[in-house]
This record gives sequence, C-alpha cells and structure tokens, in this order.
Amino acid sequence: MRALVARRLLQAAVIVAIAATTAFLLVQLAPGDPLGDLIENPRVPPEVRERLRARWGLDRPMHEQYALYLRNLARGDLGWSFSQGRPVGEAIAAALPNTLLLMSVALIGAFVLGVAAGVIRAGRRGSVADRALGAGTLVFYSMPDFWLAIMAMLVFAYWIPVFPTSGMTTAVVYDYLSPLGKVIDRLRHLVLPATTLVLLLAAIIARYQRAAFLDVATQDFVRTARAKGLPERAVLWRHVLRNALLPVITLLGLALPMLVGGAVFIEQVFAWPGIGRLAVAAIAARDHSLVMAIVVMGSVLVTLGSLLADLLYAVADPRLRLHAPTHA
Amino acid sequence: MHLRSLLVLALSAIVACRATDRSDADAGGTLIMTVAAEPDALLPITTTSVAGNQVADIIFERLAEPGDSMNTRGDGGFEPELAESWTWAPDSLSIAFKLHPKARWHDGQPVTARDVAFSFDIHKDPEVGSSVAPLLARIDSVTVRDSLTAVVWYRQRYPEQFLDAAFQVRIHPEHWLGKVKRSEYTTSPVVRSPVGSGRFKFARWEPGTLVEVVANTDHYRRRPHLDRILWTIAPDFNTSAARLFSGEADYLEYLRPENVEEIKKHPELAITRYGSLDYGFMWFNLRDPRNNARPHPIFGDVGVRRALSMAVDREKAVKNVLGDLGFVSVGPLPRAHLYGDTTLKTPGYDLEGAKRLLDSLGWRDANGDGIREKGGRQLRFSLAAPTSSQTRIRLSVVLQSMLREAGARVELDHMEIRAFQELLVRKRWDAAMQAWRTDPTPSSIIQTWGIPSIKDGVNFGSYENPTFDAAIDSATSSMDARRAQEHYRRAYETIIGDAPAIWLYEPVNAAGHHSRIKVAPMRPDAWWTRIHDWHIPRNERIPRDNIGLRAATP
Repeated sequence: MRALVARRLLQAAVIVAIAATTAFLLVQLAPGDPLGDLIENPRVPPEVRERLRARWGLDRPMHEQYALYLRNLARGDLGWSFSQGRPVGEAIAAALPNTLLLMSVALIGAFVLGVAAGVIRAGRRGSVADRALGAGTLVFYSMPDFWLAIMAMLVFAYWIPVFPTSGMTTAVVYDYLSPLGKVIDRLRHLVLPATTLVLLLAAIIARYQRAAFLDVATQDFVRTARAKGLPERAVLWRHVLRNALLPVITLLGLALPMLVGGAVFIEQVFAWPGIGRLAVAAIAARDHSLVMAIVVMGSVLVTLGSLLADLLYAVADPRLRLHAPTHA
Repeated sequence: MHLRSLLVLALSAIVACRATDRSDADAGGTLIMTVAAEPDALLPITTTSVAGNQVADIIFERLAEPGDSMNTRGDGGFEPELAESWTWAPDSLSIAFKLHPKARWHDGQPVTARDVAFSFDIHKDPEVGSSVAPLLARIDSVTVRDSLTAVVWYRQRYPEQFLDAAFQVRIHPEHWLGKVKRSEYTTSPVVRSPVGSGRFKFARWEPGTLVEVVANTDHYRRRPHLDRILWTIAPDFNTSAARLFSGEADYLEYLRPENVEEIKKHPELAITRYGSLDYGFMWFNLRDPRNNARPHPIFGDVGVRRALSMAVDREKAVKNVLGDLGFVSVGPLPRAHLYGDTTLKTPGYDLEGAKRLLDSLGWRDANGDGIREKGGRQLRFSLAAPTSSQTRIRLSVVLQSMLREAGARVELDHMEIRAFQELLVRKRWDAAMQAWRTDPTPSSIIQTWGIPSIKDGVNFGSYENPTFDAAIDSATSSMDARRAQEHYRRAYETIIGDAPAIWLYEPVNAAGHHSRIKVAPMRPDAWWTRIHDWHIPRNERIPRDNIGLRAATP
C-alpha cells in the first residue's frame, strides 16, 4: 500500500508540473492584455501603462516570467493579483471557505439523493417510480447549470419570493442579527445555489448508481446469498449496495476538486463569492497569477482525489488490496 | 414691513425648515446599490475602475466641483468643496485656495494646505503613475502660504487652468498616506481602508461581496441625509436586476430597455433618467489591417465611408435596440456635454443616394450576387463587437442587415472584451463597434481622434486630419469662450465630413431605484456627485433604514 501511495504521489507531482506549465502557456497565449482596460482608456498615457506593466513583470520575456513564476511557486509565493488588488493567497483564502461551504452541502446532498434515487430505481426496476425518477434525472442531467440556476432564482426568489436571489447573507441586516438569526440567514441564502447543484449532481450519480446496482444484483454471490435464505433487505444492503458503491466512490474522488474549485456558473449567477467566481473574474481580467494559482490548486486536488478514490476502492474491495502489484 | 420683505422672510423660513428637516430630523436610511464589478482600489489616485471612482469620490473631496452646467473654462459655476474660497493672481498665473477652517479628515486631523501640496506632488510623481499626471503638466508647483491657504502656480495661462487644479486632483491626507511608500500605493494593505474628508467615511470592504460607507456626522458643511451606502456585488446583470426587483437592493445605476418595461409592473420602484457623456459608433479602420502603412482597401476612400453612413437608418437602428433609452448620435460629442451641438449635420438615411454614390465610385454588383465589387475585390468586411456590450452586439446585427441592402457584406465577429481590446490595439480589424465615454472637458476629444493618439493612444482607427487637430488646438487655447465654441464647431464639422465612423447612438441613462429613495439631480459624468442630498422620508422607511449608525455586532 505504501509503495502504491508513493508511486501515485510521484505521478501526481509530474501531473501538477505539467498542468502548471500548460496553464502558464495557455494564459500567456490567450488573446487579450491584462491591462486592456487601461489601453482603452484615453486618459491613461502610455508611460503609465508601461510602468504598470513593468511593476507586474508583464514586460519581461515569456521564459523569464515562467522562471519567476516557478521560483515563486516553489517558495509558496503565489504572487500578486492585480485584478483583486491583493496577494493571490489572500484572495484564494477569502473565497475558499465560501466555496467549501456551498460545495460540501451540495456534494453531501447530491450523493445521498443520487444514491437513494439510484437504489430505488434499481430496486423497483420497471415500476412507475423507476420511470418517474428516470425521467426526472434525465431532465436535470441534460439541463445547463446556468439555466437551472436562473430558473430557480426566477421562481423561488422573484415569482414566489421565499428565498433571497443571491449572495451569502442579507446586506446590512445580517450584521445586526442574533447568532441564531445569522445561521438562519446563511441557510436561506444557501438553499437555491445548493439545491441547484444537488439536483444537477444527483442526476448523474443516480444514473451511475442504478446501473451499478443492477450489474451487481445479477452476480453469482448475490444469487448465493439469496439461496442461503438471507432476507431480501440484507441481500440488498449488505451484498448488493456495498459492491454497487464502487463506481460512486470513483465519482466521489473526482468530485473532490469541485469541492474547492466551486461551480463556476452557479457561483456567478448567485453572486456567491467563491473560487469559481474568482476564477471567472481572473480569466476575464487576464490576471495570470490568480488564474495559474487556481489551475494549480485544481490539478493538485484532481490528483489527490484520484488517489483518494483508489485508496477507498482498496478499502471497499479487498480483492484490490490482494492484487496490488508489489516490487518484491 | 413691505409685502415683498414679508414674502422673502416667509420663504427663507420655509427653506430653513426644510433644510433642517433634511439635515437633522430626516437623517437616516440605508441605500443598497447593486453593481457588476467591485472596485479595483479605493484610493482616488490609484483607482481606474468605475466602482472604485464612485467610492473614492464619496470618501474623498476636491477643492471645488463643477456645478450642473459642467463648465470647464474659468471658475464659473464651480461650487466650493474643500476650498471655502479662491483668489486669482492679477496675472492669472496662480490661484490661492483658502481651505474651509472646519474641514477634518475622518480620523479627526485637520485638513491643511500641506495636504493640498502633498496631493499635487503625488499626482505628478511618476513613481505613483497617476493617470491624471499628464493633465497637470502646466501646473508648475503648489506652495503653502499658511496652514489653510495653498497656492497653485501655473507655467502659462489657459482656459481650463482652474479645472485642472480644483477638479482633477482629489485631496489626500499627508499624515496618513505619507507613511506609505509611493511605489506601494497599489499594494499596501493600508490603502484598502482609506481615510478621506468627504461626507461619507469608509466602513468596510468585503472582497467579492460589498463595500460600505457610513455618514460622516461631523462633516464641516453638514452630514449627508443617508446613514449608509453599500455597493453589493453581483457579476451577472440579471442577478443585479433580480436584486432590485426583489427589494434586496435599492438602486441599479443602468437599466436595460427590457428592465424599463418590467419596472412599470413594480409600483415600489421608480426610474430616474439622466444624461450621458457616452457615444457609440461603427468605427472604420482607415489603415490596411495587413499593412498599416497602406490605406484600407475599402475604407481608405472617404466616399465609401460616407455612402455606408447614408445606408444606415440610424433612427430605426437606435429605436430597435435602445427604445427610448437612446438618441441618434450627432458626432463625437454627446448632447449632454456643455459644447454638445445638436445642430451639426450628420449624414441622413438615403439608401438610394448611398447606392448611387457607391456606383459612382466604381463599386458595382456586376455578377448579381448582391455584393458589390471593384477591381476584383468585394465590398466585404468584418465587423468586430465585444460580447460585454449587449447594445453593440445587437446594433452590429442590425447594421449587417442594413448594409446588405446597399450591397455590402458584413461578417460579424463577436468576441470577448479582452480579445476585442487586443484586436483594436493591434489594428487588425476592418470595422468595430466601439463606444467612448467623453471627459467633461471638450478638449479631451484630441485623445480619441487626434493625430498624436494614433501611435500611442486610442485612435485605433488611425483617423488623421490636421485641420481637425488645429481647430481643437485653437479652441483649447482660446481664452474667449465664443471663439472657442466656433473652433469646436469647425472641428466637429471636419470630423463628421470625414466620416471616420458611422455615428450611431448616445445612451440615455436610466437608473432603477426604490421609490422611497428621493434622489437629487444626477450629473451625466458622475451621477453620484450629489448623493449626500439623497434622502428617505421617515414615513416611507423600511426596517433596514432604521439601523442607524450603531456598529454591527461581531
């Protein structure tokens, strides 16, 4: 197991290095100037623009910028975000808790709902419930996230104003609420973005879960369990569901980057001040340092998530532990 | 006592009561604005964003503000702000500004003449890199006569010398900002909590969420009526509009035409229209995108440019896209401007005339495919537009259709704003949908259409006509206002005749706001200048208006 982890960590380091370099090149080669607004501003003289360019190191050749970026990255210095007017680390640190809150609620909700829907569909295959849930998950599966977000806002914040349209708290009023009032206010703001994400993600998970459940339910060991006279509930929960969770564990591992990467469109539409929105603003502003920091953070989490999924696989399925390659 | 005197007394009493009502008894209320982008900085000297300028203008002050006339010549119409009064030297080469003796910074320190001298010094310092620096080139120095008198010395006399001293520079506190290295004005954490002297003082900035200012109840003139103002940030325009319609926000500075209709269904909301110093146009690149040394193969000919201008029914296009939130443009100076001139003659819609003119220039549709040709080249060009502007995107589609009628094929090239900006700068485009926001000073037109701006400035279409530049130069240097106006008119007639663009629209700004917010007249260049006069009558207040000035619990 240790060798597996060590090997995967080494692979992860290479992947992160490749991702960081690719991000740097893509950002450099993308059309648009970080100082585009100033270039278009007739009042800003060329010498002011050039001074700013020099201040942010944008006037240096690409290879020098790359070397500087790597050197700073190695020292843990993520650079200065000129679009945010503060250090990149500070901008990410401010947005990260907001995204973690939204995404953890959304992922927990989505996995609970998705697994439950998948099990119900598989357990009652061909029933009205299966067909209804199938149609429902297909609708959400094929729906663009930004459209669902706008519809949710339109219906539940505008036509039937039961939830706030956007943001994390009610401006001004929040500061004067009691501690319980503050919790309730935050929860009210969380409902629409989190529910939108739950519905979109649960639709994917439910389809995976149903297929896996049906696949496992026809296996020999399940037939054996039934032949032994185990109650149906025990067969389903103890034998089928545990094995059918393996593909969902993969999804969970791959969903880890989402936990910190956020949901770009959802955060944008609901004005949720998280990492996804920060990334959109950084890309729009061609804020190279911030874009690269977010990409590097994402690639680190993708590799870690993938590693975590492998480890969870080994925990869930003893055969993988037995068949793990050794260097003995 | 004469009846007239009695009337004057009675009127004075009424005015005094109303003023008292507003300044004391009527004080209070919360204004929540919804904006698309957050400020880049809150220090006036470093901010370049719209939101940053709004907040900075409210926290900091100038020596004097142009009045509603927006006069920029001499000091006529200027209203005292930090300066209580000013005195011109007999030779007009210096102006002594006497500061208001009760003016205080938000930390309680007095505002002094040293702060004025310091502010001019940092604005002119290349290390700081202020965009205002070039405008102060004709100011020689600023000296301190006594603690409340600062004297601005000029290298020469010119019509806008008062504007440059009183308006272009916002006064910064030396005792606070002097501690920060000038090269660190954009990066120091200190400047994220600015100390100003304005009617509102900085309260907090939560990045990505909001900026808050609260009333400066100790202001030397009088406190503002509102207790607090918040800029809440919603990057998506539809979210901003939803915040207004749902009552979560009170104010949205620019409505779209479709919002105007929607607001009519909300009796609790109101619309306030105000002028704009913006104008939009379809820009012709006069140089060949493949080789800038050569004229553009189509637009190098002024006849073609005029013909295409005549082929566009601008009334219809503007009505289609902006409804009643736009006027047809009269050229590169909007009507809300002091020198805006609606009597200038721009090419009218004449499709048949346009066709005849193109025929006469040799552009004919010989093969009957609907597109004109000349010397083997089709009358075909790309039209770039940024996706950030719904107005320009929609207008580009309308223009494509209208120009097709005249036998021109327009290929639309809609792109993200940064890519659009880069395209303009590199001059690799045929035509582009552009909009400029003009400066209150009419001389600034040279920065957008003058020959010096072709190389290093924003004259990306490479329009050049020495007659135009000379007329602007004469207008700028003429001390006689009437002569200056004549020169400006000659300059505008010249550029309109040269047709470097199809002058399309001037937006009419429409702000959507809760009807309990009673707004003051809005200036076209900065609607927020009189925000300290906005108020909310007591009987119309909602719970958040009654929070008062007490601090929030942590």
